Amino acid sequence: MRYPKRRGRPSVPGRKVQLATAAILAATTVAACGGDTQASAPKAPATIPELTKDPLTLSFIWFDWPPAHALEDFANAEYTKERSNVTIKVNTVPNANWHDAMFTQFAAHKTDFDIPILDSQHIGEAVTNGNILDITDFVKKNIDVKAYNPYLLAAYGQFPQAETGKRDENAPLYGLPLLGDTWTMIYRKDLIGDKPPQTWDEMISVAEKCQADHPGVSGLAFHQANGSDAAAVTYNTVNGVYGGNLWDSKKRKIQGVLNDTAGQEAMDVLVNKMKPLTAKGSGNWFIDEVNAAVSQGKACIAFNWIAASGGLLDPKQSTLGTTREQILDKLGFAPLPSQKTNLVPLGGMGMHVSAYSSKTNQAEALNFMKWFERADIQKKWAAAGGVPSRTDALQSPEFLNAQPFNKVYADSVPRMRDMWNVPEYARLVDIENTNVNAALNGAKKPKDALDDIAKEQQGVLDASSRKGGGGL
Amino acid sequence: MSDPVPLTTDHTGQVASATPPAPGRSRRLSDRWLAVTFISPALLLLLAMSVFPLLWALYLSFTDYSATRGGPAHFIWFENFTAILTSAQVHLRALTTLIYVIGAVTLQTVLGFAIAYLISRRTHGRGLLTTLFLVPMMLSPVVVGLFWRFMLDAQFGVINSMLGSLGLGQVEWLTRQRTALISLIVVDTWQWTPFIMLIALAGLTAVPKYLYEAASIDRASEWFRFRTITLPLVWPLLLIAVLFRAIEAFRLFDLVYILTSGGPGVSTETLSFHVYKVAFLGFNTGTASAYGLLMVLVVMVLTQLYLRYLNKLKED
Repeated sequence: MRYPKRRGRPSVPGRKVQLATAAILAATTVAACGGDTQASAPKAPATIPELTKDPLTLSFIWFDWPPAHALEDFANAEYTKERSNVTIKVNTVPNANWHDAMFTQFAAHKTDFDIPILDSQHIGEAVTNGNILDITDFVKKNIDVKAYNPYLLAAYGQFPQAETGKRDENAPLYGLPLLGDTWTMIYRKDLIGDKPPQTWDEMISVAEKCQADHPGVSGLAFHQANGSDAAAVTYNTVNGVYGGNLWDSKKRKIQGVLNDTAGQEAMDVLVNKMKPLTAKGSGNWFIDEVNAAVSQGKACIAFNWIAASGGLLDPKQSTLGTTREQILDKLGFAPLPSQKTNLVPLGGMGMHVSAYSSKTNQAEALNFMKWFERADIQKKWAAAGGVPSRTDALQSPEFLNAQPFNKVYADSVPRMRDMWNVPEYARLVDIENTNVNAALNGAKKPKDALDDIAKEQQGVLDASSRKGGGGL
Repeated sequence: MSDPVPLTTDHTGQVASATPPAPGRSRRLSDRWLAVTFISPALLLLLAMSVFPLLWALYLSFTDYSATRGGPAHFIWFENFTAILTSAQVHLRALTTLIYVIGAVTLQTVLGFAIAYLISRRTHGRGLLTTLFLVPMMLSPVVVGLFWRFMLDAQFGVINSMLGSLGLGQVEWLTRQRTALISLIVVDTWQWTPFIMLIALAGLTAVPKYLYEAASIDRASEWFRFRTITLPLVWPLLLIAVLFRAIEAFRLFDLVYILTSGGPGVSTETLSFHVYKVAFLGFNTGTASAYGLLMVLVVMVLTQLYLRYLNKLKED
């Protein structure tokens, strides 16, 4: 045997290898643990720095749905007319991975995107962690803020969160609107008549009658899944309509607010009156499943995000008609019915600038945002299938005539209410999703589910004082 | 008479080899250094990708560190571990995982062994049958999850369509508390029964034929032969397959993510799925590290106990 077994101290090369390994481990540990600094959102310059003339790819990140593809096509067709060296790339991930895909890259302090498209409720988390640029000065100098409904500007950019329907002009801005959205009521004109129900109670009774009169067609179709914000938005919508509140934002109080009498009534309406009118096994439905039910003629009344409703009018995807006109003879779109209030959910997203993008790309991102918010571009975006946020674009014929549901959005803007825009949003929405989903699928009693939501969400908001076990 | 073959020695002066050193080789480049040079890439990769993350996770598990919030990590010692071990949420996920592991592994073992036993008795087409049975195991769990999700859809799925043609009612496979967990077990069984079957088949074909011949001469019954020859000889190998499957099932994530997202409510959330939520929804990195380490610890302890039992079985 060439090398007999050695005992005692290792040979000189052996010791060197061990020392080198220990040094590498120590260095890596220091590098991994010591690189963090206390987070705070860095400021974007008020004036756009000089732009590069070299070829540049401006990358976005969004979830995979039709508006993402529309944005890439639109931006590459229009923005490149002014900046021919720039290519726009909208990277998409499945909806369920959207938050994780952005925030894991933020956690690494290195992003492969320049413009993250954040849900309005993600802003708090990104700002608190210093992941996106503070663009307050940039907006002051480059954007005509008076051209917007103040709440839309606040919802997609302001932090701390604005009061519903208002904007705090002294609060910093971290984003600008990209795509406005809310729920539309989709109803079968051939089954329930041309006039949509005006109140929530009326809507339920119309759906009940329609289901009874048309076997095989369910009265209602809406989001119930426990992924993303599906079931949570559904409950929050009913909660708003029946006069409930999600929280007291000033006192950071959820317990006793969400599960008050109005909240309990909303949960009762959702689980005991609306759920029985849905199709069997629809307890995991989200955007696509609701659209499929409508396209297949399986629902009398459905609720879905406006920005995701374009496919309903595609004859290739529908059994309701062989042309768009035939489908529109059967499908109607209307704003949500009101009850004790007329609140509707705020959807849509804003554009933000990654703090970890290169200075050249950050400059290009700011230039893109300034370009995108121009009046003429907002109208073109509307004509291309987007939902703009500028008031002049919302009221333009380009937008109102582009799709039959666009007027629903324009009429709904003054009625919008958002969820909580706080750093703990991801956990709050998960608690609500899982519990509402449990109630809808018989795994929990409605009252227990609502009380559990209030208790667990309050625990998350209060958890800052607790040391171990955060996130459980 | 030819020249005597020169003996080469290494620098310690030991007689090592009769072959001369390669021409042009540096005197400093000893075999020891060569060995170190060749192993170091793999070693560095192992250190960087496995050892360091494990050690760092161990360090983080004693802190309140969050990957997104930044700032320094404060030592909170065992508070993460205490919180996890006393959390009702964790107990619920542990129970779900336990039911799932026992249900899936038991079903897979019984079915896998039965299929292997039937195949081993065939003389024709054994290879083809084995290959066909192995197909599910070769698919990605995400792909399996996606097509089972379509098949189990209450409205449009082929399973309910078949039940309907038999005059049976619709079943809400993925949206009811009991059926959702059963569906997960069924899908996992569909995919991984072939693994148990393969190991069991290897064991069955290795049983010496002369034992069966001797039993035939003694006019032993089929059941007696199975009980006293087949099962005792295949059992240790089967237990190893069960061990692998139990470890795999314990860390189940992909099927839950695709099929039920842990629903309805949290009724199909396994421990791995819960760790994922703790790690990436709130980015509570310290807690998630402690949670993950506890899971590793549970698997290691159970594996040790299991291996001891296996060794004892062999000695007996």
